[in-house]
Amino acid sequence: MKFWKYALVVVAAALGGLPHPGIAQSLNPAAIEHPAPDSWPTYHGDYSGRRHSALTQITTQNVGYLALSWAFQTNQNAEIKSTPLLVDGILYFTVPDNIWAVDARSGHMLWHYNKPTEDGDHIGQRGVAMYKEWLYFLTPNGHLVSLDARDGSVRWDVVVADVNKGYWTTMAPLVVGNHVIVGVSGDLDNLPGYLRAVDPVNGNAQWQWDSTPPAGTVNSTTGGMTWITGTYDKELNLIYWGTGNPTPVLNGKTRPGENLYTCSIVAINPDTGKLAWGFSASPHDTHDWDAVEVPVLVDGTFHGSPQKMLMQASRNGYFFVLDRTNGKSLLTVPFGPVNWTLGVDKDGHPIPNPAKEPAPDGRLIAPDEGGLTNFRSPSFDPKTGLFLVDAHPSYSLYFAKPADGAYGWAGADYGLWGKGLLEAIDYQTGKLRWTHDLGEDGSGAGVLTTDSGLTFTGDGYGNVMALGTRNGKTLWHAGTGVGMSSSPITYELDGRQYVLTSSGGVLFAWALPDAAIRTAAARHK
Amino acid sequence: MEKDRVAVGMMKRIYAFTFFVAAVVALPASIRVHAQASQNQEGAASYAKHCSICHGDQREGNIPGFPPLLDLSRQLTPQQIESLVRTGKGRMPAFPKLSQQEMASLLRFITASEPSAGESNASASLAEVGRHLFQRNCAFCHGRDAAGGETGPDLTRSKLVLADVNGNQISDVIRNGRPGTKMPAFRLSNEEMRSVAAFIHHEGGSSRPGGRRGVDVRDLQTGDVAAGKAYFNGTGGCAKCHSPTGDLAGVASRFQGLKLEERMLYPDHAKSHVTVTLPTGQQITGLLAYRDEFTIGLRDSNRVYHSWPVTRIHFIVDSPVDAHVDLFSKYTDDDIHNLMAYVQTLR
Repeated sequence: MKFWKYALVVVAAALGGLPHPGIAQSLNPAAIEHPAPDSWPTYHGDYSGRRHSALTQITTQNVGYLALSWAFQTNQNAEIKSTPLLVDGILYFTVPDNIWAVDARSGHMLWHYNKPTEDGDHIGQRGVAMYKEWLYFLTPNGHLVSLDARDGSVRWDVVVADVNKGYWTTMAPLVVGNHVIVGVSGDLDNLPGYLRAVDPVNGNAQWQWDSTPPAGTVNSTTGGMTWITGTYDKELNLIYWGTGNPTPVLNGKTRPGENLYTCSIVAINPDTGKLAWGFSASPHDTHDWDAVEVPVLVDGTFHGSPQKMLMQASRNGYFFVLDRTNGKSLLTVPFGPVNWTLGVDKDGHPIPNPAKEPAPDGRLIAPDEGGLTNFRSPSFDPKTGLFLVDAHPSYSLYFAKPADGAYGWAGADYGLWGKGLLEAIDYQTGKLRWTHDLGEDGSGAGVLTTDSGLTFTGDGYGNVMALGTRNGKTLWHAGTGVGMSSSPITYELDGRQYVLTSSGGVLFAWALPDAAIRTAAARHK
Repeated sequence: MEKDRVAVGMMKRIYAFTFFVAAVVALPASIRVHAQASQNQEGAASYAKHCSICHGDQREGNIPGFPPLLDLSRQLTPQQIESLVRTGKGRMPAFPKLSQQEMASLLRFITASEPSAGESNASASLAEVGRHLFQRNCAFCHGRDAAGGETGPDLTRSKLVLADVNGNQISDVIRNGRPGTKMPAFRLSNEEMRSVAAFIHHEGGSSRPGGRRGVDVRDLQTGDVAAGKAYFNGTGGCAKCHSPTGDLAGVASRFQGLKLEERMLYPDHAKSHVTVTLPTGQQITGLLAYRDEFTIGLRDSNRVYHSWPVTRIHFIVDSPVDAHVDLFSKYTDDDIHNLMAYVQTLR
């Protein structure tokens, strides 16, 4: 039955569902630079990573009328952790081994790609990238698959990471010009992380940048995985990427020094793969605090001078503002409880306290291994100058003893307590202008802001919420049954603004009722 | 490391899916049908039509997504299988419209015995025999290498497994399951149980290095008892709520090592009380059962659940466990080790 339903969709599409086959379901890479309101063409929505939209139909006044437009059921146990892409009215989103193409107007399915894999960690899948009419999808076993966006048929499949060595892949690739840039995951083994650029046409490798020297280099680290999508500044022609923790993870004895470029923010030329600069967010990390969190690019003033800035709320508990032309620090401040440092050095690097390295009888550490934040996207709101992040104040115990060795995890750690807190950080000072409780344990929801002064996120209990960006007050909420592990997006189609969220295996599209849209339109005239 | 855990509580919600029915009734031998597929063409056709796309042409499954069905009758009775097929579960769709006759044939086909791994591999090593049984029955939850999967724990590091000799402890768990958890009981012969145990031990000896390590009781003996007692009664303020001869009497006999230390620092799932005042002025007090930004729920003294929108009522939560949170920013590591030394004397 399912086959025939699928076949009919394909036949209908072939018979005239696509009046402009040359235009429909295709993405010019230049369009990612200035995304149209009816699109979300890349993981972060644009190259800046701000997850901020210029759309204003949904306002602080009418958001209370927001209602469910449609929901899409994946019928899978795997949670949706991906950010959907929206191109030409069609959404593309994923869970491990699965991609769906769904009509963004109605929520009905166009096609479903499903190829089960056995190897590699199936921890999550964060989404696809698109170049012209092709999608790019990473599998748990380290393959990059290119598919035809029209029907999900596979065009080619290349190996980008060796699952037998201990790598896996989950991230959404970043398309810059004619490069598909992919990152890798995996640190139960002592392996170097890397970024690789792949030719979007034929899958050939173009360049590779390694985070660390090769495994086995004496007195050197491995690690530095690259599992969250980076950002891009076209003018400087640099991509910005966060790198993960060093390995062995909790035992730093075999890897003296800063362990560059693990737990770092790096700037790389997308055409050559050459490093322009690197900034160590956690020198000599021994707590698994990847600095992979989104490097958000903001142009504005800093203490009165115009600056091209990069901001990161990092898993280790520090909020960094850098000059992204050269990687120099502008601001380093903790954004929650942090007890593992002796302060910050003159170049803005936290100074790790040796007494807080994991020990045989345990050390109390804030934050916990999940960090003060993590994979979930923050948002930057230009009008208020607020950096909004789903934070996780927390405490934990870290252990390591000689018998734990110097391979892979090399120790043990246990979370004790944590909670969720949406924080609005003033980027000029790092001070919290307001916070909003997200519940016991914490929330996995990312943040979206809009020009109309709204902040969308979710709490730990499964409520999707709209808050006023100025003061953090709740203006609307809806229970979805389980907490979000993804970041919201928004787009406008046919004069209707949608906000898209996912919880569990379900995608939800929220929009205003017609009457509220007419009122909003009248006010704009 | 790439890890999506926000906190332990989130994890529990994320992985809270149950596929197997915990209570399993042993299948009477008379119901097992030793029919070859060729003698049950209707069942084979029904299987091919409805089941094979996920569970494989030969009922071999596709781990980690889809469980094998070859040994399903070791876990579920035909009635339980029928119920699962009719109503579905998790990602397993429901098939409510199968006729009684087709269902009977399908059940006969699904439960038809295959030559068991144990019988057909007499010459293979015990662990090798166990590997086949493990892949069919256990790997869906515990991972192919017994080192854990999304829904089942790592067996290679389990205390029970480490203490097991030739299946003397593992067999009990396989035979009885763990009631109240997702671990079902399995019908395996004694010989088969020994082979599964041999496989788990084999994987424990050979599993890939690099995983998380553990904490032993002897690691947590660096503190000073007298200093811990002084902290308990003084700076820590523990004595305001706790007493070594009252609620904590014998606590070190009930919990040891890391578990004791974790409970000492933050007793997870500690109970809070809430008093709700209704617009009428009536007050209801009970155990806090739910609280988010919008709703408050309690269980009264009759264990009856009540909830209200927070905007309609006033409420006061009494949450003594918050005192533990307040201490986190005040402890030194020595305080914790000393306190642990003292608490370990409360046997």
